[in-house]
Amino acid sequence: MGFAHWLRSNSEHYLAIDAQRRVGARYGARAPEKARGLREVFWRHIFTPAYRLLPWGIRRRVIAALPGSHRRDWPIRSARPRGPAV
Amino acid sequence: MRIAVIGGGAAGLGAAGAAKGVDPSAELVVYTADTDVAYSPCGIPYVHGKEIDSFDRLFLATKEQYVATGIDVHYETTVEAIDPKSRTLAVAGEGEASYDRLVIAAGWNYAKVDVDGADLDGIYEVKYIRAAMDWDKRLDSCKSAVIVEAGLVAMEMVAALLHRGIKVTVVDKAPWPMADVLDPDIVEPVRQAWEDAGVDMQWGNWVTAFKGDGTVTGAATEQGDIEADIVIIGTHKVPNNPLAAAAGLKLGTTGGLIVDSRMQTSDPNIYAAGDCTEIPHGVSNIPIQGLTGSHAYSQGKTAGTNAAGGTRHYRPVVVPWGLLAGEWMIGGVSYGETLATALGIKHLVGKAQGITRARYYPGVTPITVKLLAEPDSLRLIGAQMVGGEGIKERADFLAMGVRVGLTIEELATMENVYSPAIGALNEPISIAAQNLLAGL
Repeated sequence: MGFAHWLRSNSEHYLAIDAQRRVGARYGARAPEKARGLREVFWRHIFTPAYRLLPWGIRRRVIAALPGSHRRDWPIRSARPRGPAV
Repeated sequence: MRIAVIGGGAAGLGAAGAAKGVDPSAELVVYTADTDVAYSPCGIPYVHGKEIDSFDRLFLATKEQYVATGIDVHYETTVEAIDPKSRTLAVAGEGEASYDRLVIAAGWNYAKVDVDGADLDGIYEVKYIRAAMDWDKRLDSCKSAVIVEAGLVAMEMVAALLHRGIKVTVVDKAPWPMADVLDPDIVEPVRQAWEDAGVDMQWGNWVTAFKGDGTVTGAATEQGDIEADIVIIGTHKVPNNPLAAAAGLKLGTTGGLIVDSRMQTSDPNIYAAGDCTEIPHGVSNIPIQGLTGSHAYSQGKTAGTNAAGGTRHYRPVVVPWGLLAGEWMIGGVSYGETLATALGIKHLVGKAQGITRARYYPGVTPITVKLLAEPDSLRLIGAQMVGGEGIKERADFLAMGVRVGLTIEELATMENVYSPAIGALNEPISIAAQNLLAGL
């Protein structure tokens, strides 16, 4: 597993746990388990708050810079036509 | 031209068929480690649950039909290596095989449960049809089962096992079923139905070992031991890419093969399709992996068409999905609240509860629709739903809505079919959109 894969795998997992806590609280659902061990404490109490502090524009630029299919050629959505079709 | 395909699932067979359609003179060879091709693995839980009476019904075509169409399928044949420079494959039992174009459709595996006892007999990964036939006989004498993680297949297998009178325990570290994808309010009717059916749900718990001497007799968990005749793995999909990685093809952050809209990999002679690839998301542009069978088939057709010299483009995905979990259908498109919150995507939520037919018509069921919108433009960016029926059609419609950029105002004023037997006066999608606007 390369660094980018490792980073995504961990960040995705721990950001999801944080989101489960927030959304779960909104609907009275069960909360995720508390963080255990240094590894979980780092990702949940240091990485996650730091990620959430970043503006979306910066997050998007970081994500865009990582290797992936999004950096290859894909069709751009055409503008929606307006007015009657005929 | 010789086109080789690795993988005989929806993506692989879609690729082979499309390539043959573009260039009938092409030599098409499909290598699959499986005993069969052209069957629906997604139907396996429904045979286990006895909703479908035979595994035979899951086969879509016979082996003879592929021979007749000129597609040479090598069954139970493993490709051990790819050499992109010489354009050759090392095929177990056959030696070296050349190709002009290669399509990799190697699919996925369940994420490993890396604990002691993981190699015991009696641990079932629902995937291959011949194995499922054997497991089905075993389920006849099975009284209890542990499901490890409540992923998508697990959602269907809980219902299947309950139908067969098997006591079910679900062990998952997450706080509710499919918690990485599903919102808690949407999955709550399913969770409640499981509770009513006597399913032992151990959220916030995880397996530390599988117990048994040769054959599994249960699972050791963080919160104690559970006895079981069978263990079912319900973990998430991971792309099956050791072969591609060893060949030097580029992988993305998901572990999926990097492809462009022609499904071409980092090697111009090699295409890829299905669960071994990653595709950009149509809302966020973040590449994602582990989509549905219809995505795999469509990607396969794109890869096969281009491999054979044609031109076809795939598009970024917004992933309409749905499944049957007991009496409930759940589904959605793009982002739910949990995923949007995880990524930090700002969003507004509109929700409505409605009915699927006229309130007096037999068979009417409740349905809940939740819409997510981008706050500035009010463009639809996602939805989740739960109900007794009508989830698939709404998910497909909303997926097209996300793709073309429909706004909540447009959905709030949408027209809808009203006919007592098939649709209620008020469309819950429209009501959810109106509720979102009312909250601004």
